[in-house]
Amino acid sequence: MKTNNKSGFGISRRALLAGAAVGATQVVAPFVITARAAEAIKIGLLLPKSGPYAVQGEIGHNGAQIAIEDFGGKVLDRPIDLIWLDESSPQATQQNMRKLIEEEKVAAVQGGVSSGDVLAIMPVAERAKTLLMASGPNATEITGKNCSKYTFRVDLPNKVTVNSVYPLLKERGKKWYFVVASYAWGIDAYNQMKDVVVKDGGNVVGYDQAPLGTTDFSSYLLKVRQAKPDVVYVGLGGTDLTNFLKQMKEIGLTNQMALSSPIVNDTDLWAAGPDAAFGVYPKIWNYTGAHLAKRGADFAAAYTKKHGQPPEAEGWQDWFAMTSILTAIKETKSTDSAKLVGFLEEHKFEGYKDAPIFFRNFDHQLVQPLLVAQVKEKITDKYDYFDIKSEYPKDASALNAAYGNQAEIGCTFKA
Amino acid sequence: MTELIVSQVVNGLVLGFLYVLIAIGLSIIFGMLGIVNFAHGVYFALGAYFALTLRDSLGPWAIVLAPLGVGIVGIVIEMTLMRPLYGKEPLLGLFMTFGIALFIEELIRTIWGAAGHPFNPPALLSGFIVWGPVLVTKYRLFVLVVTVIILVGLWLFLQRTRYGRIIRAGSRDPEMVSMLGINLKRVFTAVFGLGTAVAGIAGVLAAPLWSVVPSMSEAAIMPAFVVVTIGGLGSFGGAVISGLLVGVSVALSIQFWPAASTAVMYALMILILLVRPRGLLGESWERFE
Repeated sequence: MKTNNKSGFGISRRALLAGAAVGATQVVAPFVITARAAEAIKIGLLLPKSGPYAVQGEIGHNGAQIAIEDFGGKVLDRPIDLIWLDESSPQATQQNMRKLIEEEKVAAVQGGVSSGDVLAIMPVAERAKTLLMASGPNATEITGKNCSKYTFRVDLPNKVTVNSVYPLLKERGKKWYFVVASYAWGIDAYNQMKDVVVKDGGNVVGYDQAPLGTTDFSSYLLKVRQAKPDVVYVGLGGTDLTNFLKQMKEIGLTNQMALSSPIVNDTDLWAAGPDAAFGVYPKIWNYTGAHLAKRGADFAAAYTKKHGQPPEAEGWQDWFAMTSILTAIKETKSTDSAKLVGFLEEHKFEGYKDAPIFFRNFDHQLVQPLLVAQVKEKITDKYDYFDIKSEYPKDASALNAAYGNQAEIGCTFKA
Repeated sequence: MTELIVSQVVNGLVLGFLYVLIAIGLSIIFGMLGIVNFAHGVYFALGAYFALTLRDSLGPWAIVLAPLGVGIVGIVIEMTLMRPLYGKEPLLGLFMTFGIALFIEELIRTIWGAAGHPFNPPALLSGFIVWGPVLVTKYRLFVLVVTVIILVGLWLFLQRTRYGRIIRAGSRDPEMVSMLGINLKRVFTAVFGLGTAVAGIAGVLAAPLWSVVPSMSEAAIMPAFVVVTIGGLGSFGGAVISGLLVGVSVALSIQFWPAASTAVMYALMILILLVRPRGLLGESWERFE
């Protein structure tokens, strides 16, 4: 009989080695179990690594890391493992969401700058019954008619922010021009603001959609210039907004009309520079100013110390998103999303803003005061671009009403 | 309405020159070396970033030195990474340039950070000129003039000088040219350096108009590829015609159907490739047929 192994025992050397390895595993098994007790709690992060929102992605990631450091890198005595995958388009983000849930077995996922991406991953979270803490999208329907039991949203809905800046903008006149990114967020921004404007007797003299990632707005600006509006309302963010501001400056439209958008990220204005930056914007958070609460100030200090520059709004959003997830895990002593959802629906977070902030149990929107911020006339600091004109709503008792009641929201969770 | 269309067409033509400027370097490198350079966008970005770093200490000289710096980076990359791939499977060149693109973009992010940097046009060139319905900013006019000078200069260099003849001959029949005793290696290195330096010039000139961020290469590379493909790979005249065509199409689509303004250039590319598979002025080329 001819065998092709050389050991003479009827089994190959490779099989022998494999067997030995299995045996060794049995011997060290008790240690493996101990190690498993301290197995990391994984949390997924979906934020852009490239494209128009890449900066927000990096700063959001930095913010989330600071929250983990605030907890000493551990929760329930287990190390926290943050896994950052790219958020680049609805399809790719959906794939990465599946990868986080199915392969990495994460306890929760946070992130999402683009509303289009978030709307694409919400059903995945719902099916897998995994907590999704949406830190950066603004389309109203995310905590409105498309709401989901497992999705919570930190950022502000367009429907709320339009009301915060409208009183200041309407003083400038009745003719409005809209340039918005041609996806969920921008189109929602147009619809929400247009409703407010038209109801108050204003008129829309122009409405253009621009593909996300547009570099050259000169042709749009020619139309704006021609229409001579009193207010330009742009649903643009990231490099789109930076490009728009730079090119407004180029053709001399800076400060010639009022400018606003549904939300603003400091980095977009820092990139445009002090000469090109102007406008009045709703802002979720500012690293400095009278409305900075204790916890926010501590975060800003920790961030500045670590990164050598103050955090912009997205940093706070992802810091708070991570803080809320870790708080829920710590308090419920569990990584079960159903329990985390239950906790988040009831908990009040104190010390983060002028009033306690909380996720509403019927739509999972974070109810919080926001800032109405105007770009300073004379910018002298590299980062300090805004004068905070007011807080919205002015009175904390009006907070819940400002976000709309259950009937207005139209959110029903699937059982 | 006619006024608006006229103003958009002129704006599109001016924008088109910017596209042409971005595309020329790509066209030179493809036309002479046969390399489809996916890393073209990062040389564009490097131009802007070099100028950003140099402008504080050198002022206007930064505009000249930044592209030179990019050209030197290009030369080093050609000598170390591109040269071993000549004459091999074209796919290897694609992978290599793609890898270089990812690497340099990450390097830019590491050195200069992910956040954008303000970059104003020089005070001398701020402001705009209005002539009837037409509005052109002085800065874009300046970009147009620079583009034309570069185009004319390159054309004269390639058509009328001894070096130009060697480059053109080398691109078609490298063996024959080598047999005549010409060191083609050095010629190819120079051409690659020239192509990347022109990308650097485009980056410097685009910096006051567009965001200076690590991903600015993405914004440049797609229009550049579309322009070169429509014009015919390696064709100068083709690149100019197609750059202007793309500029005007984008501007007019923004006037009438803005949401489609990015899609329109791809639609144009598909349409032209269906009718003329080699692009508008593309020639048949033995090595690639």
